[in-house]
Amino acid sequence: MAKLPTYCYSGLIWVFCILCLLGTLTVSAQTVIPDYSPKDSIRTIEMTPLVITATRSQKMLEDVAVPTTIITSNIIQREGALRLGDVLANQMGIALFDDHGTGIQIQGFASDYTLILLDGEPVIGRTAGTLDIDRITLKGLSHLEIVRGPSSSLYGSEALAGVINLIPSPPKEKMEGAASFRIGSYATSDMTLQMEGGRDWGGMRVFVNRYASRGYDLSPNIYGPTTPSFSDWTGDLRAHIKLSERIKVKLGARGTFENQESVFASQQLGQTEERYNEEGARREWSIHPEIDVQLSKKTRLNTTLYRTSYRTETHHLRQEDEFINYEDNFDQTYSKAEIKLDMLWNTKHLSNIGGGVIGEQLGGTRYPSTSEPESSHRYFFIQHEWLASDLIHFNTSARYDDHSDYAARFTPKLSVIVRPSDQIRLRASIGSGFKAPAFRQLYLAFTNSSGGYSVFGSIPMSDGINQLEANGLIQQRLLDVRELDPLRAENSVAYNVGGSITLRTWLTAQLNLFHNNVTDLIETQPVAQKTNGAFVYGYFNLAKIYTRGIESELRMTPQLNSQSSLDISLGYQYLQARDREIVDAINEGTVYGRSPSGRDYRLGIGDYTGLFGRSPHSASLRAAYINSKIGLTASAHGRWRSRYGYRDLDGNLFANRPDEFVPHYAVLGATISKKFTFVPSIEFIAQVGLDNVFNHTYPTLVPSLPGRRGYTSLQFNF
Amino acid sequence: MKLFFLHFYILCLVIFLGACNSTPSEPERIMLDVQLAEDIIADPVTSRDPSTGRALSNNLYSLFDLDTNELILSSSVTDKDQRRTDSSGTIWDIGFRGTTVIFNGGVSGPGEATAQILTLPFETVFDEPLPSDGYVTDGSNTTCPSIETPAGPVPGSTLAICTGSGNGWYNYNSNTQLITPIPGRTIAFTTATGNYGALRFLSYYKGNPNPPDSDQPSRHYTFEYLVQPDGSRNLFRMPSDN
Repeated sequence: MAKLPTYCYSGLIWVFCILCLLGTLTVSAQTVIPDYSPKDSIRTIEMTPLVITATRSQKMLEDVAVPTTIITSNIIQREGALRLGDVLANQMGIALFDDHGTGIQIQGFASDYTLILLDGEPVIGRTAGTLDIDRITLKGLSHLEIVRGPSSSLYGSEALAGVINLIPSPPKEKMEGAASFRIGSYATSDMTLQMEGGRDWGGMRVFVNRYASRGYDLSPNIYGPTTPSFSDWTGDLRAHIKLSERIKVKLGARGTFENQESVFASQQLGQTEERYNEEGARREWSIHPEIDVQLSKKTRLNTTLYRTSYRTETHHLRQEDEFINYEDNFDQTYSKAEIKLDMLWNTKHLSNIGGGVIGEQLGGTRYPSTSEPESSHRYFFIQHEWLASDLIHFNTSARYDDHSDYAARFTPKLSVIVRPSDQIRLRASIGSGFKAPAFRQLYLAFTNSSGGYSVFGSIPMSDGINQLEANGLIQQRLLDVRELDPLRAENSVAYNVGGSITLRTWLTAQLNLFHNNVTDLIETQPVAQKTNGAFVYGYFNLAKIYTRGIESELRMTPQLNSQSSLDISLGYQYLQARDREIVDAINEGTVYGRSPSGRDYRLGIGDYTGLFGRSPHSASLRAAYINSKIGLTASAHGRWRSRYGYRDLDGNLFANRPDEFVPHYAVLGATISKKFTFVPSIEFIAQVGLDNVFNHTYPTLVPSLPGRRGYTSLQFNF
Repeated sequence: MKLFFLHFYILCLVIFLGACNSTPSEPERIMLDVQLAEDIIADPVTSRDPSTGRALSNNLYSLFDLDTNELILSSSVTDKDQRRTDSSGTIWDIGFRGTTVIFNGGVSGPGEATAQILTLPFETVFDEPLPSDGYVTDGSNTTCPSIETPAGPVPGSTLAICTGSGNGWYNYNSNTQLITPIPGRTIAFTTATGNYGALRFLSYYKGNPNPPDSDQPSRHYTFEYLVQPDGSRNLFRMPSDN
């Protein structure tokens, strides 16, 4: 790979160009991602990493104008992290939250506002908005890139709070294999077998991973475990081939299969308890061919095809007679074709333009088989970078999304980076983000059998009400649904201002202030009243929230002596995530709380801690001692979060009473790893670790937090 | 300058102490007794549709007399003649069906009951006389928030106590599916015969569970209130009244 002068806007030089051969799209092009995945851990820390997520073209991390963090495979390895949630939990600016799986919060937004990418392409499959990040293994990755703040101007929907991109490591140019095995508490095991090899004209890597656990039970007096037992297989292939000096083809493919089993009891009022077996299965696959053609010295064309499918099945079987009491299937397919042209005009101007089409299909129990929702979507984006001088760079981007089932939209962003000296970077950006209406908000047609109410997504609403009316079930219409505008995407305008300063060669401080103004949040509103008195609800763009705060990180990498060093990151985030309507009402003085004894008292703005699940303060720690001579690494890592609201009891719809909060807690983990080399070329790494050292658990409130867990693992590299 | 501040402090002190001493010795007021009505049924679920499992109820009001703290007509009474007789007079003041609350006046009954929602903790109604105006009868309330939709506003209800979550006496929590009285809301009312009073809701669930529990049957009102029988807007008596 070419060596570049440090200030030479490295990304630009890599602007290749292409001739797009659609016929060869079954294979795909080599990305420009260089392999900085580490052979020597100390060296890696020193290197200036290249990142791709923030601008969709390669750039040095420190020269990216938006808040970007990377987590290297070294960190993943030394913290003993297996699944995506394990490593994100200890990351500054990211909080985990349980809601139908483990979701992440970035800048105070719920899980559905962050886009998760595998090698640049979206991971799909959300339940109640949450993409369960524990579905995703960390094996085979070079690093993760985390971009905070909206990137919808490049990626479209969901990239409103941020983007997390999982970058696979490219195959090495020699034959290598690795096998690892880990066993720990709750019969949790993880096994991986990986083979890779290549030449300068191409390479391939394959791994198979099995992750399984017996599950755990934090409430032994309740029938059924807290988390089910499961086994999860992931197979992954990454290959690339250079067809000529100018044409590179790349292929990625992944399949994941998970089965889980559990039991639970349910009791209807006044009836005896009934016990059920619960069985769940998940099948996911994705295929991702890409071709990269260098059209001229200054233009490069990239064509990507991507198709992924996510399918789940759940059954509840009554134990006494094996009667299937409940069955739910969900099936989602996402297909995308995209073309992107990179153009280097001169040393100061770089443009990327691109466009694509996306088709999505939904099926399953909740959607009638006769009218399974199908949507199509076209988009265009453009980005221009202007490297005005050594002091200042500008980046503007914009994207237009035209979707079949919600209103089209235009999303711009402008960011700037100022470099008054080599040690200082100042960053500012203003950008728009959006999130498409969720499937239920578009396609649901649901009547609650016990409550008698109905809910319609925006697409079936008109027909649904007509149908109810034809059946004589509508008493009065509250509005004429035919006159409704189409549902709009949820929309944000975000401001990020901050910077980084390198105080010593081993000491860097970062700070970012963010403010996200969110409008058009989708909520339900009644559209008609039924003869039984219940309402028919539709989805409308109604609510407004804002999130604002400070993200800060201190990174220290002192060299202790010629063999050993420390790597310490301390993070702190302050967050306010608030509903505007509640803030206004509090300022008007009309908001009260009610004590458990029944006394009403007026609340001030200081009593409002914001949306549920958001901790105002959170801190993170990553500390490692690395001795390269004896191959020893020790890590302590963890996070602390202040209390957060999770329910309302006194009728004001937000958390203000102590019994409406989850108390603050800290989770700390520790590992020690040692590397042995018996014969040259065979390396052996042993690791012991302890998760949740303090053994904090909240069985009902934080079910994803098991007690203290130990594990030990072995890895062979050959 | 220093001297000025010294003088200023002394002045403040004098004013402060003076304020303390000047509390008049009024005759002690006697609060009216707060009455409690428990588990007043408001058209609870009676059965389920055998084919759809949908909740069924009588779709009828319960009517309550605030003066005597008595249920006049239960929503479980379906006999039409009895319902007509019991609802026709001014003996009842307030009625309940689901989350809808009516007062015996205007479109709801032959009485002269009126009501309004005050943004005040219930405890403070003893401090000052109830407001003299602002009361409306059912059917004449024009203040209920309209439902804002992209197709334009849809008018809200015209009952004295607006219907809908956040508009009247309750909030609906879509996460927990709980109906909870909005704290800091007190209903000031006049009874069917024109006496003033104040009321607040405590619970919508059977047995007044604390904290509220949606596993308990809903549509069971528990509320506390007081009525001034002398026709005044003060919710206290002077000792000489005894």
